[in-house]
Amino acid sequence: MDELILPENKMSELINGIIAKYQVFAPVEEDGITLFKQIRDFSEINMKFSNSMVPPKGLLFKQTETLFKFTLGKTGEIDPIGFPEEKRVIFGIRPCDAKSLDILDPVFKGDYNDPYYLTNRENTILVGLSCNKPGVNCFCTSFNNGPASAENVDILLTDIAGKYYVEVKSDKGKQLTESMKKLFTPAKKEDRKKKKEVEKKAIDAIIRHMNVNGIADKLDKIFDDIFWKRTAMKCLGCGICTYLCPTCHCFDIQDENTLTNGARVRVWDSCMYPEYTLQASGYNPRAERMNRVRNRVYHKYSYYPKNYDMTACVGCGRCIDNCPANIDIIYIINKAKEIQ
Amino acid sequence: MVNEKQLREEVKKIVSRDDVKYVIGYEKGTYGFQVSPSFAFTPEEADKFIFSPLCVNNLAVYLMLEEKPPLHKNEKEDTRKIGLIVKGCDSRAVVQIIQEKGMKREDVILIGVACPGIIDPKKIKARFPPQMKNVDVREEDEKIVLTINGTTHNIPKDEIIFEKCKHCEKPNPVLYDLLIGEEVKGTKKEDYKDIKAFEKKSLKEKWEYWEKQFERCIRCYACRDICPMCYCKNCTADQLSPQWIRRSVNLSENTAWNIMRAYHLAGRCTGCGECERACPMGIPLTKLNKKIEKDVKEMFDYMPGMDAEKKPLLAMFKPEDPEEFIL
Repeated sequence: MDELILPENKMSELINGIIAKYQVFAPVEEDGITLFKQIRDFSEINMKFSNSMVPPKGLLFKQTETLFKFTLGKTGEIDPIGFPEEKRVIFGIRPCDAKSLDILDPVFKGDYNDPYYLTNRENTILVGLSCNKPGVNCFCTSFNNGPASAENVDILLTDIAGKYYVEVKSDKGKQLTESMKKLFTPAKKEDRKKKKEVEKKAIDAIIRHMNVNGIADKLDKIFDDIFWKRTAMKCLGCGICTYLCPTCHCFDIQDENTLTNGARVRVWDSCMYPEYTLQASGYNPRAERMNRVRNRVYHKYSYYPKNYDMTACVGCGRCIDNCPANIDIIYIINKAKEIQ
Repeated sequence: MVNEKQLREEVKKIVSRDDVKYVIGYEKGTYGFQVSPSFAFTPEEADKFIFSPLCVNNLAVYLMLEEKPPLHKNEKEDTRKIGLIVKGCDSRAVVQIIQEKGMKREDVILIGVACPGIIDPKKIKARFPPQMKNVDVREEDEKIVLTINGTTHNIPKDEIIFEKCKHCEKPNPVLYDLLIGEEVKGTKKEDYKDIKAFEKKSLKEKWEYWEKQFERCIRCYACRDICPMCYCKNCTADQLSPQWIRRSVNLSENTAWNIMRAYHLAGRCTGCGECERACPMGIPLTKLNKKIEKDVKEMFDYMPGMDAEKKPLLAMFKPEDPEEFIL
C-alpha cells in the first residue's frame, strides 16, 4: 500500500490526533520499567524504549479478564457484561511482538472462537515502530522476521533520522493515515533507500542466532535425553519466562465470589507451575521441573509447528533477559540440535 | 579474592567422594555479565566453576528444589550429600533452614567463600552497553576491575555493588566445611538509613508508595521461587480450598500476596536480596524485608541464620519479650 514520510516534529501531532479518536496504548516508563499503558498525551511515551517488559499481548489477551458476573442463590442471575467496544491503537509495538499476535490468532480462532480476544483484535490497529537498536538477546531474524519488518502490523514507522518512514500495510492502517493526511508526504526513492540502510544496520546488530532448521523433528528424537533433566536443574519454576512471553497463551478459569455475588474470571496460567497439570486425583503428569521445562520448549518448537505450521517463538529475548537462573532458550535449542 | 584454581581442585575432591551426589556452584553464563548456576556431577564438570563479584545467585535455593520422586519397588533412597558454594548471606540461609529443621546439617557440604560484595546487574547494565562476550571481573582493594572487549575499567566498589552489600555485616560464611581463600574483614554496619527515612513518611504516603509498586506485580512468583526460605511444600498462594489469594491479578490480591510473602519471612530472611533481583517488575522487595529485619533485631535482638544450634526466632520465647504490639 502507501509509503509515506512523517517529519519527526509532526509525531506529537499524529499521536495526539489519534488520541482524539482512539484509546491509545504506548510504551511508558515508570520506575525504570517500560510497559504498554493507555496514554492521554504524546509526552507520556518513552520513544527511546528497547522493548516493554510485559509484551503487548496483554492488551488483547488480558492477564485477568472478567468473562461474566453473577449473583448466587435460587434467584441467581448472570450478567454477561459484554465486550469492549472501544477502537484502540497500539502505538510502538515492535515487529516481533506484532508477529506474536499472528501466532496467537489460531489459538483463539478456529474450532472455537474466543470473543474476548477476537473483539479486542478486531478493534485494534497496530502502529509498529522498527527496532533500530536490538538488544543483546534479540534473535527475531532466526524466524524469517526482522527488526524493521512490516509484515504483521497495520502501519510501520521507521526512524530514518529526522523523519519517519511510514509503511501502510492494511485498510485499517490506511483509514488512520487518510484521516490525518496533511501530516504526511509521499516517500521518495532516497527515503526508501534510507529505510533499507537502517533496516540492514539493525539486522547486522543482531548477534545471536537460533538454529531452528529441522528442530521439530530433532526434538522428536531426543525426548528422553538426560539433557532436559540437566537443563531443568537450574530452573526455579517461576512464571517469568511464560508471563513475559509474547506467544504464551495458557489460561485458567476461576469463579471468584463472596456469599452473594461473584465473577468468572480468566487469568494467565503458566506451565512452569506444578499446579498447572495437577489433576483432581492428586496425580501430576508433569511432576518434575524437567517435565515442565521440556514442555515449554516442545510446545514452542515442536507441538505448535505441528499443529499450526509456525514456531511459537518470535525471538524477542524476554525470557533470556529476565530469567534469574540464566535459562537461555537460544542455548537450549542450539545445544539440542547438537545432541547425537 | 577467591583463587578459582583452588576452588576447582577442592570441588573436584568433594565431587569424587562416594557420599556426594553433586556440587552446586557458578559457571560463566550464556552472555555478557551473566553468571549461571552450575551443577558438577563429575570432577571434569568442576572445571567450569568460577567465582567472581558477578556470582549473584543464592545457590541455597537449589538444596530446597532437590526433587525426590517416588521410589520404585526395592529402590533405595539416594541419601548422598550435596555440595554447595556459599557466600555470607547464602550460608545464613542454609543455617536458618537447618534451624527450622528444613534440612539436616549432615546432608550438605558447605564450601565457603568470603564475599567481596556482589555487582548489581541493574547498575552494570546501566553503565555498560549490553554485550555477548563474557566479561573478565576481578576485585582489587576497594575496586572492581572489569575487562570488556580488551578495555579495563576500575570502578569504585560502592558505585556498582548492590545496596544491601554496602551494608553487609556478614560477608564471611557463618557455617562451612571448608573455606576457599581468606576471610574478609567485615567492618560494615547496617544502619537502616533508608528504612528509617521511609518510616518517617505518613501512613498515606507509605500506602500510596506501595500501591504503586504492587500494582505492577504480575504474580509470576519469582520472588517466592528464588527464595531459599520459601520452601513450603504447598504455598498458601497456590491453595484452592480455601483460596487465600485469588488468581485475579489486581491491586488487592497483589497486595495480599506481597504482604503475606514479606510477613512469612519475618525472623527468617537473611537479606540475600534475590527476590528483588528476580522481580521483573522492579518491585523493591528488599525494603519490606529490611523493615521486618530491623524490627526483629530491635525487638528480639535476633539475626536470622547465625547459629545452626539455636532455635529459630518464632520457636523461641523469653519472658522479657516485648509485647506492646499485642492487642
